[in-house]
Amino acid sequence: MSAERTGAQIMCEALIREGVDVMFGIPGGAIMPFYHAMWEYRDRLRHVLCRHEQGAGHAAEGYARATGRPGVCVATSGPGATNLVTPIANAWMDSTPLVAITGQVSSLVLGKDAFQETDITGITMPITKHNYLVKRAEELPYVFREAFHLARTGRPGPVLIDVTKDAQQTRTVPEWEVTLDLPGYCPPTVPDRTALRAAATLLARARKPLIMAGHGVIIAGATEELRALAERTGIPVITTLHGIGAFPQHHPLSLGMPGMHGWVHVNRAIQECDVLLNVGARFDDRVTGKASTFAPHARVIHIDIAPCEIGKNVKVMVPIIGDAREALRGMLDEMPARDADGWLAHIRSMQAVHQCRQAYLRRPDTDELMPHDVYAALNRALTDRGGYRVVTDVGQHQMWAAQLLDWRRPRTHITSGGAGTMGFAVPAAMGVAIAHPHETVWAIVGDGGFQMTNQELATIAQERIPNVKVAIINNGYLGMVRQWQELFEGRRYSGTPLSGPGFARLAEAYDLRAFTVERADEVDDAIAAAWDHQGSTVVDFRVEREANVFPIVPQGRSIGEMITEAPQAVGA
Amino acid sequence: MSAGRTVVALVQSRPGALSRVVGLLRGRNAEIRSLTIGDSEGSGVSRLTVVIDVADAEHVVKQLNRLIEVLEVKDVTHTAIVERETALMKIDAPEPQREEVHAVAERFGARVIESGRDTVIVEVTDTPDRLAALIHSVRRFGVREIMRSGRLAMTLGADPRMEAPLHWQAQADGTA
Repeated sequence: MSAERTGAQIMCEALIREGVDVMFGIPGGAIMPFYHAMWEYRDRLRHVLCRHEQGAGHAAEGYARATGRPGVCVATSGPGATNLVTPIANAWMDSTPLVAITGQVSSLVLGKDAFQETDITGITMPITKHNYLVKRAEELPYVFREAFHLARTGRPGPVLIDVTKDAQQTRTVPEWEVTLDLPGYCPPTVPDRTALRAAATLLARARKPLIMAGHGVIIAGATEELRALAERTGIPVITTLHGIGAFPQHHPLSLGMPGMHGWVHVNRAIQECDVLLNVGARFDDRVTGKASTFAPHARVIHIDIAPCEIGKNVKVMVPIIGDAREALRGMLDEMPARDADGWLAHIRSMQAVHQCRQAYLRRPDTDELMPHDVYAALNRALTDRGGYRVVTDVGQHQMWAAQLLDWRRPRTHITSGGAGTMGFAVPAAMGVAIAHPHETVWAIVGDGGFQMTNQELATIAQERIPNVKVAIINNGYLGMVRQWQELFEGRRYSGTPLSGPGFARLAEAYDLRAFTVERADEVDDAIAAAWDHQGSTVVDFRVEREANVFPIVPQGRSIGEMITEAPQAVGA
Repeated sequence: MSAGRTVVALVQSRPGALSRVVGLLRGRNAEIRSLTIGDSEGSGVSRLTVVIDVADAEHVVKQLNRLIEVLEVKDVTHTAIVERETALMKIDAPEPQREEVHAVAERFGARVIESGRDTVIVEVTDTPDRLAALIHSVRRFGVREIMRSGRLAMTLGADPRMEAPLHWQAQADGTA
């Protein structure tokens, strides 16, 4: 028997029932009843007051990506809700379980352009898995149950619950015993045995087989199964940006990242392979380049939980619809042992020719601090110390991190992939740090992205979050755009030179420890000092301004056409 | 003008369901040419027929399937179906051409359902082709208004996948 509760109390209890222990948000008029009730539950429900709703959303995403559990963010109606749109879109593109709770004006004035009224369910319709406008307190237990179910099952994604102020205030006896009524939602789990057999046969007969591991492997918790399949068959594994961590990079079968900034040997392996097994990746255009020229000799097997991804960008011979772990287990049952040693040796010989020079390409005429120096030092520290997560933003620094750090475990590399949201890293790292308080969370971010959401340093300081270490790869440009302008637009640096405040002084203003690094020989010490400091830290790495990410496939071109070094002008 | 793709869907009647369908089609680069929605044989379930211009119909159908409310969706363009559409037409019909208007309507199996001083309203339900032919034939009289219902499509024979679940049918019948 439940006693009478306000809608707002029901919301809090529903969150607790769903296993939520922390949420990120900002109060405002239409969500005030919820905040009023939250106070009573504060021993079980931690609220982290952010400085901007976008920060709250990304923090919830970081929490979700680091744990696999839905992240929760909260905002008021109108501008509070619209500020959540970017993180919701980001979560949609990256299949991140996110539950966004927004206050809405009272149902009595709904639709009348009331103060801070915005049709947020209308706005977020195309970027949520589902959303709700709740006008009656009685509906809240069901809606919360269903929302969390949708966010975390099948292909995870964002769900928004918009609750009118009067629904939050109304008293009712909550009916917690609810049965989900979702006849149109049946996420597949166990894949079709015939398809698994067909896939196993293809792979067994292939001469140049390749496995591409994506985010789905990590979401499904299928890293062990992936490793088992690779080891039984000797098939080399490439990992997409979101697949990083799905397969340990030091493994003899690991090749690295494909795509626009993938390694030459990886893209060439794709272009040469005769069977490509894609596990939980969606053939994003940053991976495929010009899709019609992608893997021209390959028969493609595609494991995905979302039928809509099959055949969307690349023609698939054997579709396997289902959970990646179930699918890989099924394939292991069907798959005879084999090896692909000759093929692997061929790929390694390509790698030997190409990779080293690209990774550490430096301008011959400069002794300035190169981004590569920072990554090399950070990689040493991560390797030596362990117990870390890395969150990256969007741009050059993100690609360098993907290329130059050694990735070992799932959910240690967290970034904004599909949406490419600059400003993701700092708030997301905050969410990761709260989820894993005993680990050190490095937020690697450019000076452009840092300036989009650095207000969350105040949140980090207020919450006394000790384990966020921000590494700003500061080159005074919107670097990736500048790189494109350099390579493809005649070096017209239109709108890309970027100034900023002294980031160390800015961080100090937030009461955080900060360092500025301008020379290569200072990098190791700065990283060690930041890591050892008992509080969150910002390190401003002032790197060579026009370093480029290589290799690069020009947009819209085949991944067979890679540019591996800068044209003559640079460094000449 | 291409023929467009005819898609039939069974949709749970939840708030915003139609809006989601329409928004998804817009967002996935499909142009809606005709959309008809109404109650189905099941309680709380609507059936809709939408005719769209789209490059990749298969992709759009899969995307529609992602919507929580969509129970079933099928591109029936190349399936055995019946298609019907109803139109109301307000046609200039002063004497002496009134008789001729009546004759044309009759030839197409259309009904004159209202006769005003200078105009008549003609109602017709037919296949899209015959409807187009009728409209073409009456244009010469002067057509003031045309109101079309949008396309209705139904597959031939039993198609259990496209039927509302039994318990909803029972609810609609009042037997549950």
